[in-house]
Amino acid sequence: MGRYFLRRTGAAIITLIAASIIIFGFIHLIPGDPIYVMLGDGATPEQVALLRNRMGLDEPLVVQYMIWAGNALQGDLGQSIFFDTPVTQVIKEGAETSILLATITMVWIILFGVPVGILSAIRQGTWIDQGLSGLAMLLASVPTFWVGLYLILIFAAGLGWFPSSGFPSIFEEGGLSNLRYLILPSLALAAPNAALILRLTRASMLDVAREDYVRTARAKGIRPYRVVLRHILRNALLAVVSAFGFTFAALISEAVVTETVFALPGIGRTVVQSILRRDYPVIQGVILVTVCLYLVINLLVDLSYRLLDPRVELE
Amino acid sequence: MKLRNLLGGIALAALMAAPVSAQTLRYATIGEPPSLDIQMGTATLASTIAQHMFESLYAFDEANAPQPYLATGETISDDGKTITITLREGVMFHNGDALDAEDVAASLNRWAEFGARGKLLGLVSAEATGDLEVKLTLEAANGAWKSILAYINGGPVIYPAEIVSAAAGEPIAAENFVGTGPYKFGELRPNRYVELLRFDEFTPNPDPSSGSSGERVANFEKLQFVPVPDVGTRVSGVQAGDYDYAEFISGDLYGLVRDDPATQVKISDAPIFGLMFMNSETGPLATNTKLRQAIMTALNMEQALQVSVGEPELFEASGSYFPEGNIWHTTAGTEAYNQGDPEKAKTLAAEAGYDGKPIKLLVSTNYKAHFDDASVFTRQLADAGINVQLVVVDWATLLQLRGQSAEWDMFMTHHGSVPDPVLLTVLNDSYPGWWKSDEKHELMAKFTGTSDLEARQAAWAELQALIYEQLPVVKVGNILSYDIASPDLKMQFGKAPVFPYFWGASK
Repeated sequence: MGRYFLRRTGAAIITLIAASIIIFGFIHLIPGDPIYVMLGDGATPEQVALLRNRMGLDEPLVVQYMIWAGNALQGDLGQSIFFDTPVTQVIKEGAETSILLATITMVWIILFGVPVGILSAIRQGTWIDQGLSGLAMLLASVPTFWVGLYLILIFAAGLGWFPSSGFPSIFEEGGLSNLRYLILPSLALAAPNAALILRLTRASMLDVAREDYVRTARAKGIRPYRVVLRHILRNALLAVVSAFGFTFAALISEAVVTETVFALPGIGRTVVQSILRRDYPVIQGVILVTVCLYLVINLLVDLSYRLLDPRVELE
Repeated sequence: MKLRNLLGGIALAALMAAPVSAQTLRYATIGEPPSLDIQMGTATLASTIAQHMFESLYAFDEANAPQPYLATGETISDDGKTITITLREGVMFHNGDALDAEDVAASLNRWAEFGARGKLLGLVSAEATGDLEVKLTLEAANGAWKSILAYINGGPVIYPAEIVSAAAGEPIAAENFVGTGPYKFGELRPNRYVELLRFDEFTPNPDPSSGSSGERVANFEKLQFVPVPDVGTRVSGVQAGDYDYAEFISGDLYGLVRDDPATQVKISDAPIFGLMFMNSETGPLATNTKLRQAIMTALNMEQALQVSVGEPELFEASGSYFPEGNIWHTTAGTEAYNQGDPEKAKTLAAEAGYDGKPIKLLVSTNYKAHFDDASVFTRQLADAGINVQLVVVDWATLLQLRGQSAEWDMFMTHHGSVPDPVLLTVLNDSYPGWWKSDEKHELMAKFTGTSDLEARQAAWAELQALIYEQLPVVKVGNILSYDIASPDLKMQFGKAPVFPYFWGASK
């Protein structure tokens, strides 16, 4: 276990270095100049050159990379060109929203996707299964922005039950009650992902249900619910838990549409806006942190296999 | 039991009404503003926010005439090159210091050297000649000087001397946002909001309020500018009572919000207009005026505006650079506008010796109207036998490429309403397009060399006619953007100004 952990950590560091070079190189390959974006339409080439020089953007790319990587190693991801604030602060602002949004969304996904997937599997071929499969297809097909706009229209503008947009930090006035700002966006974001988990749970359950040991368990007269919960579900969950890990990481980095529709100050929106503004330090910082997050989540998922299935060897 | 508690908590949280405080104004913006140091940049949103903190020597009244604001008056030398301005007494900065001539001189000198529009005035130096007296020395008489000093967008707002001296050409950092306005800087939370707080020691101008000039009263304790990029959410947010004001609502939603009792519509009193610049430096259009005229002749602006805006109440195919009722309005040269005549264009193109070589039109997809206009123009020009090659990029790339004259023949952009023609980008020799003809320079000297309004109006009419003759740029048409507000919000303005302000507003 210890050696496995060390090996994985070493691989993660190499991945990180490679990712940082790729991120840096590709971002600077995109045409466009953050200084023009900053100074506006009327900026003269002289003003642009002056500011570019002051911000060190006229240094060779290799020099810029070395400076950035050296600072990043010390936890300094640089200064946002656009906001003129440390990138770590920009990420911190976005991380709270994104992590809370992803967590609440995962709660909806698990509460809906897994039980309904199980129900669909144990009622395979019945009208319940077909109805739930149809529902899953519908949820997976409807665009998130459309669901989001209708949720706002009905529950915020119409009924006034939830705020329409934004998210004040839970550490500010309002505290935990500020989580109500994330109810509608998390539902919009959960819809397609819950459908996928539903389908995956159903398929895994049906796969496992065909195994010999399940037939043996049934033949031994074990009660059906115990067969489902202890013999089928536990084994079927291996594939589903893998999907949880990826889904959670994807929810953080790919929630950009939901964050835009609900005006949430999350990581996804931050990175897309930063790309449009060519705010290189923010793009680099966010992607680097996201890569780290993926690596950690992957590691945790791999470790969790062992808990779910004692046969798995972590070598 | 625990699950029930959790669900109960969520339901309770949902039911906890979150009304917008009567002491806070929440303004839904189209995005995040760049630096609020508005001497250094021309972003509209930055000016909208920062005008509540930073003030200028002059301010525009309802009729768009510059009136003394931090200034009380001026004397001008006979040759027009020396302007001595006296300042209002008792004006306080947010840091508790009193405004004096040193602050004004330092701010003006920094703006002239590094400011986004700093070169417009031709300021040689500004020096304090008394506690409350500043002497401005200009390279040449500039008839637009007062408008230039009053225009806050990229303009000479006043900061404390020590702050501008320390910042020099760098944008001023947020912690040093110190001005004299009715609101002071509160907090900037990236992607969340910019918050301004009422400045209780504010010393208002004693004149009656008119436009941006005169008395400013801060009724709200806080102004919060919240980025809400999706237009549908901005509308729903005002309808739900989460925002008091939302900017830049799209034309397709106009019918919906106009009849909705949950919103009040604020149509802009200052149209923005699309522009297609032509390359006067290199390429097939640089010296071929006839080919430019062929292009102009082929274009039907109403069709383009119909596609890009849609709602007829929100656009106007007008060739004048200033709208009717404005002191700079003139129709000189506009007979060339909106002809939409492909046959005549074909003839002109043949006379120009056009050989069918593609003409590169640089356009960004970030602004839908730019792309729609460019698409319509491409079709119309094809009908006239003129082959346009669209070069589609994002806005940041366009801003960079348009600085390289070999990369484009025409590019699409837009222009906000400005108080004086001198602020039009096409009149700036160094703006991409690089229009620098002798006739232009001759007329510009006439236009800026006098302070006499009638003489300046006549010179501007000639300049507009010259624009339509030499065609450094093609105006698409006026777009009346609009904002919405909650029905309870009372504002000092009727139609929305270019930079909506909220002193004098209440709910």
